[in-house]
Amino acid sequence: MGVILEAKNLHLSFKGVKALTGVEFSVAQGEFFAVIGPNGAGKTTLLNVLSGVYEPDKGEVIFLGQSLRGKSPQERSRMGLGRTFQGLEIFRGMSVLDNVKLGAELALPSYPLALPRAEREWRLRAWAEEVLDYLHLSPFRHAPAGMLPYGLQKRVEVARALASRPKLLLLDEPMAGLSLEEKQDLARFLLDAREEWGVTLLWVEHDLRAVLELSDRVLVLSYGEVLYHGPPQGVRQDPKVAEAYLGQV
Amino acid sequence: MYRLAKQLTDAFSRRFARSVRETYRQDEAYASTPLGRLALGVFLVFLLLLPLLLPPYPMYVTTLVAIGALSALGLHLLVGGAGQISLGHAAFMGVGAYAASHLYGPLAPLGILLGGGIAALLGLVLGLPSLRIKGVYLAIATLAFQFLADYVFKNWEAVTGGIRGRTLPPAELFGFVLDTPGRLWYLVLVFALPLFFYGKRLLMTRAGRAFMAVRDNDLSARVAGVDLVRVKLLAFALSAFYAGVAGGLLAQLYKAVTPEYFPLMVSIQYLAMVIVGGAGTVLGAILGAFFVLLIPEVLNSLVGSLGPQYAATLAAWRNVVFGLLILAFLILEPLGLVGLWGRIRNYFRTWPLPY
Repeated sequence: MGVILEAKNLHLSFKGVKALTGVEFSVAQGEFFAVIGPNGAGKTTLLNVLSGVYEPDKGEVIFLGQSLRGKSPQERSRMGLGRTFQGLEIFRGMSVLDNVKLGAELALPSYPLALPRAEREWRLRAWAEEVLDYLHLSPFRHAPAGMLPYGLQKRVEVARALASRPKLLLLDEPMAGLSLEEKQDLARFLLDAREEWGVTLLWVEHDLRAVLELSDRVLVLSYGEVLYHGPPQGVRQDPKVAEAYLGQV
Repeated sequence: MYRLAKQLTDAFSRRFARSVRETYRQDEAYASTPLGRLALGVFLVFLLLLPLLLPPYPMYVTTLVAIGALSALGLHLLVGGAGQISLGHAAFMGVGAYAASHLYGPLAPLGILLGGGIAALLGLVLGLPSLRIKGVYLAIATLAFQFLADYVFKNWEAVTGGIRGRTLPPAELFGFVLDTPGRLWYLVLVFALPLFFYGKRLLMTRAGRAFMAVRDNDLSARVAGVDLVRVKLLAFALSAFYAGVAGGLLAQLYKAVTPEYFPLMVSIQYLAMVIVGGAGTVLGAILGAFFVLLIPEVLNSLVGSLGPQYAATLAAWRNVVFGLLILAFLILEPLGLVGLWGRIRNYFRTWPLPY
């Protein structure tokens, strides 16, 4: 298995607050990789650095063998780096279908502009419907995304990200606020997406049980430093993690 | 007789009553059902025959509303579509009008296009601040543009004729002199129909989705691969183009251009059309323009019919009533006239069995 993403010695500070100090890890092709840590550990900051919202002070991110330094978020998304956000960052006023189509646009970049507009729309639609069907969102395709219940909105966001056929999908707390059943559904969708479309997954999540059960490897952050980087079985045994994250016993 | 009627209605329902879209491909197209195509065709014929049906003054008002709707659609694309605010819409109309006032007669269509083009270039410039600022701050920046344009209209005598403005002879199309609103109507159609279809198509396809993504959430739009700079500049330029073309047509309708036609008040009126019309749809632009431009006319004629002795007092009340109507809309139907229309349509679609 090749390495799809490599973070080398990432440093980032905001006016004296050290958000990331020397973070290093690598994600293998096809892996389900988790980032966990207590509040303020720098998890979301890390995702922002990976997706290009922030530029690191030092160090670099290698994605598919290319350095991402200086690349804007939309350039990165065109390279195949998808992302969902903590909280809801869907397009609330647009229909579910339009949300997914917007994501799907990225999956069709190789078609030249010469493709007639109607034909292009049609191909987008066909692919978007496939994704909607996959995530069981088809009945809601024409509903404004902002009108759906929370769990479905979360799913719309995942659908939009998956529709762009990312090679690596960054998920920021996808399970936050979901019921147990919705969590199970989402886990199944994600595992299936990896199986079917070969998406590598990197997720930040607070639900420790889900993380340890689903992930192949785990990175534990605390105050911007890496405490642990390895298989999920080792997380509970690691003394440093136990102290910082799970509390002292 | 009965059998003939039955056969006719049966034929009609076989041909037209299938109003359900059955494939994704049909869902993508507009006017995809036979009934929809029939309605569209009838509507287009109606538009062509309109000058024959209406007396001169209502025709003048109709032309005015159509031009207003075109301009309102431009603002809709910007405000309802891309979520950027502009208080300078009237200024762009002014730019188009003054440009058109220099190319008249047989050159009028060219002048109107040129007016749209110049307005679009200025729109690009006005779009620049939108890359850095949002909301109220952007409104103030566009307000500055409105005042600047007003100043230029009043003082650049060589081009604008200063306070007195410019007059222009009627336009000509294929040798026909378009000297009445009923004749000018066809020139309006030549510009408005393609622009309306383009606007409709735009909101249904890639660029429209990018617009709405920027409106709803510009951070995740960027991560979803939308080029913010391009979208915002395009939205401003496009909106200004619509305004410029509408301004040129307006100059042809008034046969004159003066700075008084394009003050801040008009910009605000157009924003009112967007709000009253409702969410960024083409229909919203049309309904909003109808409401904002037509209601004062209706109130005017109501006041006039009560007799001249009340005219002075009631003229002031006219504005109050107009304001109250807009207020009522904001409170009672936040989706605007489009929302109202949707509810009426659904009522009839499910009638007589709403449940």
